[in-house]
Amino acid sequence: MSTLAPTTATESIRAREPLLRVVDVVKHFHAGVAGSVKALDGVSFEIQAGETVGLVGESGCGKSTLGRVVAQLLPATSGQVIFDGVDLTRLHGERLRQQRKQLQIIFQDPFASLDPRMTVGDIIAEPLVNFGLIQGKQKDQRVQELLRVVGLNPYFNNRYPHEFSGGQRQRIGIARALALNPKLIVCDEPVSALDVSIQAQIINLLEDLQREFHLTYLFIAHDLSVVRHIGNRVMVMYLGKIVEVAGSEDLDRSQQHPYTKALLSAIPVPNPRIQPGRRLIALSGEIPSPLNPPSGCRFHTRCPIAQIPTPCAHEEPPLERKTANHFAACHFSEKVDSIN
Amino acid sequence: MSVLGLVQRPGRIVAGNILFKGQDLVRMPADELREVRGRDIAMIFQDPLSSLNPVLRIGFQIDEAMRAHDKIPPTQIETRGVELLKEVRVPDAPRRVKDYPHQFSGGMRQRAMIAMGLSNRPEILIADEPTTALDVTVQAQILELLRDLNQEMGTSIVLITHNLGVVAGLCKRVLVMYAGEIVEEGPVEQIFESPQHPYTWSLLRSIPRIDADRRRRLRSIEGLPPDLIALPPGCKFSPRCPFRIERCFRDEPKLDEVQPAQRASCWVTMKRAYAEMGAGDIIDTRPGAASGVRPPKGVAARVDDQRMLESPDIGHAGER
Repeated sequence: MSTLAPTTATESIRAREPLLRVVDVVKHFHAGVAGSVKALDGVSFEIQAGETVGLVGESGCGKSTLGRVVAQLLPATSGQVIFDGVDLTRLHGERLRQQRKQLQIIFQDPFASLDPRMTVGDIIAEPLVNFGLIQGKQKDQRVQELLRVVGLNPYFNNRYPHEFSGGQRQRIGIARALALNPKLIVCDEPVSALDVSIQAQIINLLEDLQREFHLTYLFIAHDLSVVRHIGNRVMVMYLGKIVEVAGSEDLDRSQQHPYTKALLSAIPVPNPRIQPGRRLIALSGEIPSPLNPPSGCRFHTRCPIAQIPTPCAHEEPPLERKTANHFAACHFSEKVDSIN
Repeated sequence: MSVLGLVQRPGRIVAGNILFKGQDLVRMPADELREVRGRDIAMIFQDPLSSLNPVLRIGFQIDEAMRAHDKIPPTQIETRGVELLKEVRVPDAPRRVKDYPHQFSGGMRQRAMIAMGLSNRPEILIADEPTTALDVTVQAQILELLRDLNQEMGTSIVLITHNLGVVAGLCKRVLVMYAGEIVEEGPVEQIFESPQHPYTWSLLRSIPRIDADRRRRLRSIEGLPPDLIALPPGCKFSPRCPFRIERCFRDEPKLDEVQPAQRASCWVTMKRAYAEMGAGDIIDTRPGAASGVRPPKGVAARVDDQRMLESPDIGHAGER
C-alpha cells in the first residue's frame, strides 16, 4: 500500500496530530457466490482540524462507503480510523458511542433521514437525550437555539418533517448534527437532492457554521464544482481508491491523474462562449465492476495514456507526492498535462 | 408533456394553442395526435430505467416505435434498429439489441432511449432532463451525441434542464421558467452575459462554477419556490427578489423586450438594478435587500406563510 499522504504544504506546523487519520482502510461487501465487492481497497488520508476536505467521484466509486466507515456506521474490513487520537475501529459498545459524539453525519436524502413521526424538536434533541445531556426545559431552549443557528424559525419545534421543504429539512438534519458540538461532520452529498436555487443556501450555511463553530468537514459529492468550492483540499476517488489529492487551487492549476483531468473536462462550464468549444477527454468504456477490479492501476482499462501491459496493467501505482501539496497515484503523472 | 398530449388527468390544457407546422396540437383528435407523437415530435425522459419496459428486449422496443408509425418501411425496421443503436454509439450493437434493459448501464439505457426517439427521424426531439440521472463523464458523452444529431441531422432539440452548464454547451436560445411562466427569453450568450430578470441573474450567481474563484461566496436565492396552489399576487418572484419595488407586489409584469432579441417579465430589470441599486456588488441577497422594499401588509403575511418557516426577509432581519 501507498505511503501515507501528508496533507498540508507546511509540514513543520503539522507536528500536531491530525483530527482524522484514515490508514489503509479496506471495506469489502460479500456478494454471495460472485465473491466480494471491493468498495474500498486501501484508502489512507488525513484531515486537519478546521479543514474542509472534499471527496469526489462517480457513482459506485466508494465515496459514500468511505463516509460511513469514517463515521463508523459501517465497520471497516481492515485498517484504522484514528479520530482525535483514538482508533475507532478498535472500540466497541459504550466507548465507541462516547467517542462518536464528536463525529456526526449529514445525509443526502432529507426525506429519508428524518423520522416522520417525530417532531422537529425531538429529532434535533435526540442526540442530546441519548447522551443524557439535557433535561426538561433545557431541551426546548437548546432546540430553539439550534433552529435559529440553521436559519429556521425557532418556534416551529413542534412541527413535523413533512411540513418542511427539502432545503428546510436539510437544515433540520444539520441542526441535529450540530446538537452535540461535534468536531467533525461527514457531509454525504448534502445538496445533491435539493433544487438548484436552494443549494447555495445550504452551502453558504455550512460555510458560516464552520467559521462559527470551528468545524471540520469531510464533504462528499459527485459534483466537482461543488466540492472544489467548499473544500480546501479535494480527494478524487475511482473504484475504491483515492487517485488524487490536492489543494483546490493546486488542482485548478494542474491535474496529476488522467481520471481527474477527464472528470474536469466533462463538467460543463456555464459560459456559452467557452463551453461549446471545450474538448471532452472521452473515457473508453464504463466503470469496471468492483467485484472484479482491473489488475495493476484500476484505471488502466479506460486511461488515455496507459502503457499496457507494463507497468499500468501489472503494477499498482502508489499515491505519491508529486508537488508540495499534490498527490497522485499514476505511473505517468508527468504526461497528464499533455492529454487533450 | 403538454406538447405531446401526455398530461395526465386531472391535469389538462385549459387555454392556448400549440402549433406544429400550423396545426394546433391542443385541438387535434387523439388518433391524429398519436401520429405526430413519436413520428414528428419525439420525447426522451429523465429516468431511462423507468421509461423502458424491463421485460422486452432493447431492440424490440426501438423497433416498436417504428412499427407504430408508417414512416419506415417494415422490411427495413430491424436493420435500422441496429443502425440506430450504432449511431448513438452503443458498442457491439448487433448483439446488444437482444439485451434487456437491466443488462445496459445507465448511460447506455439513455442512448437506447435516444435511439428510440430518433427512430422515425422526428423533426423535434424534446429531451426532458436527459442527463440528470447520469455521471458527468457519461453526461458529457450524451450531450456530445445530442449536439451531433442537431448539427448533422438537423433535428430541432428542446432541452429541458436545471443545469446551466448543459444549456451553455448545447443551446442557441434559452427560455427561463419560474412558477409556471416564462420569465426570460433570448439568445444563449445574452442570457448568460446580460440577464435582465433577477431570477435568471440570481440563478447564474448561485451555482458553484468550475471557472470561478472558489472563495467567492455564492449569492443564494433566499426563500422557496412558490406553492403553485397559492401563487403570490403581482410578480411571482417578488417574495424572493432582492431588487423588487412596490409595484412588483401589485401588478404582474408581462414578457417584454429588454434588449434586441431578448425579453423579460420584470418591472425593474437588471439594467436598472445595476444603475440604481448597486447590483454589481451586493452581497446581501435577501428579498428586498437591494431595493429596501418590504411587502405591503397583508401580502407579507401570505408571503411568510408560503415561505413556511424561514424568515430571510429584510423585514424580519431582527429575528435572525
